[in-house]
Amino acid sequence: MRRALTLAAFVLVLLVALVPLYWMVQVSFKPNPEITQQGTLYPHTFTVDNYDRLFAQRSFGSYLRNSIVVTAASVAISLVLGSLAAYAIARFRLWRRMERRIGLALLTARIVPAVVIVVPVYLLVLQLGLLNTWLGLIIVYTAFNISFVVWMMESFFREIPVDLEEAAMVDGDSRLTAFRRIVLPLAAPGLAATAVFAVIVTFNEFLFALVLTSTPAAMTVPRGAATLIGRIDVDWGAMSAAGVIAALPIVLFALLVQRHLVRGLTFGAVK
Amino acid sequence: MTAGAAAIRKRARVQGAGLDRALPFLLLAPAVLIVLLVFLYPLYDGVRASLHFYRFGRALQNVGLDNYRDVLTDERFQQSMVVTLKFVALAVSIETVLGLGLALLCARQLPFIRFIRTVLIVPMVVTPVVVGIVFRLIYASDVGLFTAVSQHLGGNEVQILSKEGTAFLGLVALDVWEWTPLMFLILLAGVQSLPVEPFEAARVDGAGAWRTFLDHTLPMLRPVLAVAIVLRTIDAVATFDQIFVLTRGGPGTATQLISIYGYNTAFKFQQVGFAAAMLLMVALVTLAFAFLAVRLIRRSATA
Repeated sequence: MRRALTLAAFVLVLLVALVPLYWMVQVSFKPNPEITQQGTLYPHTFTVDNYDRLFAQRSFGSYLRNSIVVTAASVAISLVLGSLAAYAIARFRLWRRMERRIGLALLTARIVPAVVIVVPVYLLVLQLGLLNTWLGLIIVYTAFNISFVVWMMESFFREIPVDLEEAAMVDGDSRLTAFRRIVLPLAAPGLAATAVFAVIVTFNEFLFALVLTSTPAAMTVPRGAATLIGRIDVDWGAMSAAGVIAALPIVLFALLVQRHLVRGLTFGAVK
Repeated sequence: MTAGAAAIRKRARVQGAGLDRALPFLLLAPAVLIVLLVFLYPLYDGVRASLHFYRFGRALQNVGLDNYRDVLTDERFQQSMVVTLKFVALAVSIETVLGLGLALLCARQLPFIRFIRTVLIVPMVVTPVVVGIVFRLIYASDVGLFTAVSQHLGGNEVQILSKEGTAFLGLVALDVWEWTPLMFLILLAGVQSLPVEPFEAARVDGAGAWRTFLDHTLPMLRPVLAVAIVLRTIDAVATFDQIFVLTRGGPGTATQLISIYGYNTAFKFQQVGFAAAMLLMVALVTLAFAFLAVRLIRRSATA
């Protein structure tokens, strides 16, 4: 009885989780007349026109390129700078435990929702003349990612015994050589998980992309996808195709690191 | 060279001397500077903006605290606060109950867990804008899933986003779909780490399932529940992307959360000072929540 109940709940959960996504995917492969007039439950006529249109008539290729550049650059910069800072916090004792306070301040900054600073960040980027540029987005995303990377990497570094580096340093390595030769390889799985998590969050970001970019040359994928909506005449086919393209790489990425995902989403509170 | 001198040199290497003493500061500086530039300077700038009157995006004059007074007496602000609180309370409590129930149901079903965990990761990593698109496609009165199913069963078009009550519930359903998985995964980790002994003792004592849940499961899950609820609450207050795509806050003000109203006042109506004042007040409240979250995270991360 209990087993049957569990099984029923299990099937229901899977259906609820997947049917909404199925609906978007199947709409994306239908011709427009079938979408709006026939209300079919699966594509009776299969077509990839919606995808073609995204790239031919809209600038989706450009959005993809912008997303990849901005995400790669900001994640790379924040991994390097964030790991160095995290190492300092994990291994040094500064005056009045300043390193610990800095770590907590960064975490607090990361947890406060972006929407409460979006107006002043917009004014800042405006003053710097960086609206509609990759650099503007990269700077903002790097700041968000750094605070996250520092917090996550600090906890990964702490799990590595100090003895290993000290042995290497007694043998003549400098601090930074020991960091590169001993600590970094041991922390590689954590670094990879942090990187993938940062990629997901950055690629998905919308609010700053909405406020800081308005030209196809600078818009990211979520920002571009949102431009397909809001006209009186909605192009459902293109909209669903855009949704599929935006979601697919991120879902695949996330499945690669599912073991670490909850740790990332809860800032390390749940391991 | 004596053994003593060699030992001192080793110590100097390990503890750091000269440039090494500045090392931690050099390591910390770039990260801290970037975060200061993007978070702290704007906060200072935001305070300054909140004290000015703007027209067409330009600061015209210093108006002191007028913007703050205007925000507090603004009916639409109060309305959006009510919508936000209703949305957060409803969505987060549904997610908590569903997530906890599912976690307790699945905790001992190992073959299920691997599969269900993989599937449930999908809703929470899908781009939030796309989640908005997904539900727009489901709710649409002409091309939507509900309308299609209803027509197959001989019914009519289903109107969801055009009516205030159903649009609000539709938004709550979206949030529940997207974030119950996170609640479930966090609480599953909590349930799986519970000790076995208290439950065996309770069974020996003849306690019922409900009693055991109230006396043992719930109290022991408190720390992990606290982290999950606080993080989810902060996130839910700031829900923006999905609403922007789904309803833009409408119909009327039915789904106009504070984030949407703040965005509209700043970027649609160009009342930058007013918006800055409003969002700063929201920032203070969420900052208090963030401090609470950091305390909880630190406690469970080091436990």
